[in-house]
Amino acid sequence: MNDVSFGQYYPASSFIHKCDPRTKILFLIAFIVAVFISDTFYALGACAFLFVLVAAFSKVPVKSLLKSVKAILFLLAFTAFLNLFFYSGKTVLASWWIFTITKEGLIYAAFLAVRLFLLVLASTLLTLTTSPVSLTDGIESLLYPLKLIRFPVHELALIMSIALRFIPILTDETSRIMNAQKARGADFETGGLIKRVKAVLPVLIPLIISAVRRADELGDAMDARCYSGGKRTKYKKLTFAWRDLIAFLLVALLVTGVILLKVYLPAVV
Amino acid sequence: MKAIEFEKVRFSYKTNDSEENNEPFSTEGVFALNGIDFSVEEGEFVAVLGHNGSGKSTLARLINGLLTPSEGKITVFGLDVSDSKQLFNIRKNVGIVFQNPDNQTVASIVEDDVAFGPENIGVPRVEIGERIDFALKAVGMEEYRNGTTSRLSGGQKQRVAIAGVLALKPRIMILDESTAMLDPRGRKEVLDVVLKLKKEENITVLLITHFPEEAMLADRAIVMNRGEIVMQGKPSDILCREEELETYNLTLPKPVKICRDLRRGGFSVKDCLTPEALAREIAEAFSVREITSGETARVEEDGAYSDSSMALGQGGVYCKNLRYVYNPSSPFATHALNGVDIQIRAGEFFGVIGHTGSGKSTFVQHLNALLKTPTAEKKYKPKKLKKGQTPPPPITLTVNGYDLTDKKTDFRELRSKVGMVFQYPEYQLFAETVFADVAFGLNNFSVEPLSEAQIEEAVKEAIETVGLDYNEVKNRSPFELSGGQKRRVAIAGVIVTKPEILVLDEPAAGLDPLGKEEIMRLLHKIHKDWCKTVIIVSHDMDEISENCTRAAVFSEGKVVLNARPQDLFEQYDELSALGLDAPFTAKTVSLLKEKGYFIRSDFTSGDLVDKVLAFASGENRKGGQTNE
Repeated sequence: MNDVSFGQYYPASSFIHKCDPRTKILFLIAFIVAVFISDTFYALGACAFLFVLVAAFSKVPVKSLLKSVKAILFLLAFTAFLNLFFYSGKTVLASWWIFTITKEGLIYAAFLAVRLFLLVLASTLLTLTTSPVSLTDGIESLLYPLKLIRFPVHELALIMSIALRFIPILTDETSRIMNAQKARGADFETGGLIKRVKAVLPVLIPLIISAVRRADELGDAMDARCYSGGKRTKYKKLTFAWRDLIAFLLVALLVTGVILLKVYLPAVV
Repeated sequence: MKAIEFEKVRFSYKTNDSEENNEPFSTEGVFALNGIDFSVEEGEFVAVLGHNGSGKSTLARLINGLLTPSEGKITVFGLDVSDSKQLFNIRKNVGIVFQNPDNQTVASIVEDDVAFGPENIGVPRVEIGERIDFALKAVGMEEYRNGTTSRLSGGQKQRVAIAGVLALKPRIMILDESTAMLDPRGRKEVLDVVLKLKKEENITVLLITHFPEEAMLADRAIVMNRGEIVMQGKPSDILCREEELETYNLTLPKPVKICRDLRRGGFSVKDCLTPEALAREIAEAFSVREITSGETARVEEDGAYSDSSMALGQGGVYCKNLRYVYNPSSPFATHALNGVDIQIRAGEFFGVIGHTGSGKSTFVQHLNALLKTPTAEKKYKPKKLKKGQTPPPPITLTVNGYDLTDKKTDFRELRSKVGMVFQYPEYQLFAETVFADVAFGLNNFSVEPLSEAQIEEAVKEAIETVGLDYNEVKNRSPFELSGGQKRRVAIAGVIVTKPEILVLDEPAAGLDPLGKEEIMRLLHKIHKDWCKTVIIVSHDMDEISENCTRAAVFSEGKVVLNARPQDLFEQYDELSALGLDAPFTAKTVSLLKEKGYFIRSDFTSGDLVDKVLAFASGENRKGGQTNE
């Protein structure tokens, strides 16, 4: 029963799934930094190695990980392509018309592609292994210091969690209304842009009305349960465990390693 | 100390703060509540009855300070609800469970939602955990503690809502039509929990409801009308006062109606509200007439149903081996239909019965090709079979004479001939005027543009058929109409294309008893004048037995029973084995059978009365002629 399976979340019980969401968010940030300051093959190799290690422990099928890359494949190819042909380097490998491929361009393009690859894969791994609910909890907890500057952290978190909670309900409702209008002959699949936009109205209007009605009723229900937005306690408290320590050690090792490599080895890009 | 006390309370939704608007509240109808004096003892269970708009919900909202009275005083355990300093003390003590199970849950995870209330009042963390344990246990949902709220059934969602309220440790629980949107199973779940809480926790209960059988559970019932309490007393007493109930737009419960009709036929029975009581009364009346046992003649056999011509033509449905899988070839694949065989002949008023998840909605959506069989999909390619694999039996689905397994079928035309009214159809209204909304389908379906006169004629006819005044409503916004009127407009928007078959999913859901009766009357009218065949999906067995000529029971993606109500509800045991209820009449007949009286009826209440009277006069006993 423990599934909040919409969005990307892949329910499983793994070391990575069980980590504190805050650890995972901080880990991701540190990892991205490490990837972008890596300027040697060794450093980037270390990043890639750590990613493969984490991914292997996450029990997430490779297929669902790669799915996310599919969406940005074109972007990846395009940037790599531009860099390959227009990077001004010294060692010319081949040249034709205005295109020149240099050794430096080749390396730079490869680096950029690997970096983007790792960036997307790592972010995907976070959403695959963390349910939206605990992701929200994690973000709320990490934003807590902002309370000092009167940033409404709690309200923001509540809004996020209510939004998450209503996604499946409104999705259902949308398909129900679409079916009802289809039964009355509405056509959502053919026609030009204007016709299609017009066709959406009979779905959109009832949906908005229903959302407003739901919001109104939810407001009453929250009031009735003593919600005031003021001081409240929190039942679920995120706690760091030994897993999180290991994660922090690993990522600290990576970042230090990458920095050391940057200092002692000549950059290749 | 009284749990709740109202002293001369009046309430108006229109605030009269502005100086200019200083006129006294003289106009009738301005007050949602008009002079309420009433009190509830601690531990009492009070049912509140009244038609829509009688002020029941306003009453509930006043008690926990969601609204404050315009005049008069309300106290809850001695605390004044108008005192804003006491607001949270009052809300802690008075929990409300609302009508829509989806709109009162805050969190995606059950335990987080239950924790919401205690978090709000600053309960320490450890104690919140204990309160969640207690609340979920009290409603029998402890195994769903880490479950997702959106995956629960309606009854389970409402039980979680009750737990969310219980976690605040209230002494009063108000249920504001909390069972109106549930199926019978969910309704029972919720009521069982409420009764248990009253007994074990001595919680004061205020149950706002439309269902007489729910009001029967209470110690006391009050009836509201136009913002006033007009009747008060024992539920069994109140529910039998026919003239009074009628004045307040309420209906007599069906069992009482049967008793009245029996008395009118010269048969002396007291008013009863349960099948047990009615069976006992009838048996007693029989024994007074010195009839100790007996049997009525068998009713005529069901006509030859093997002849499929009536199902293949216009107005009919012929379906064989229908299978349907949601999300095929994915880990979430669910087999919704596993070979449905069914024939629905033209001219039937057909009922479709089954639990949520039995496949009935999936089946019904096939009837106008909202869901299609694989072969009807544009991209259909026959699957290659592995060696030794036998092909599955071919699907046949013919609706109104259209072959729905053929992708060349004109599905647009089909949809104009098979009208579909979804549950709560009023939520699909969207246009600026009633006229435009009703005309929507007409314009979509017409191959050539219709002239304005043609459109107006068709729309007018449809609106008048559903019982609304065309000139009065045509230019109004559908959103300013009442609930029942909106539903009628939505039905008009479907029948405007003159479908041969009309399919309705729970057409009476959420309406009060009078509204239900009116909608069913409307459907009979549509069946008589407009559509050859009417198919309704319903959870309410009484609705099926009173209205349908035939009904099919779905279970686990198959049709397990398909018969006339008189044959269907005789199979009492099989129905209970499927977890389905029987109509009141069938229960009574079954109880009479135990007492030695075999009365055969088609289980409409009218027929039951006739058969009992005939049986008593000896006409119909021991192989005599049925007097139909």
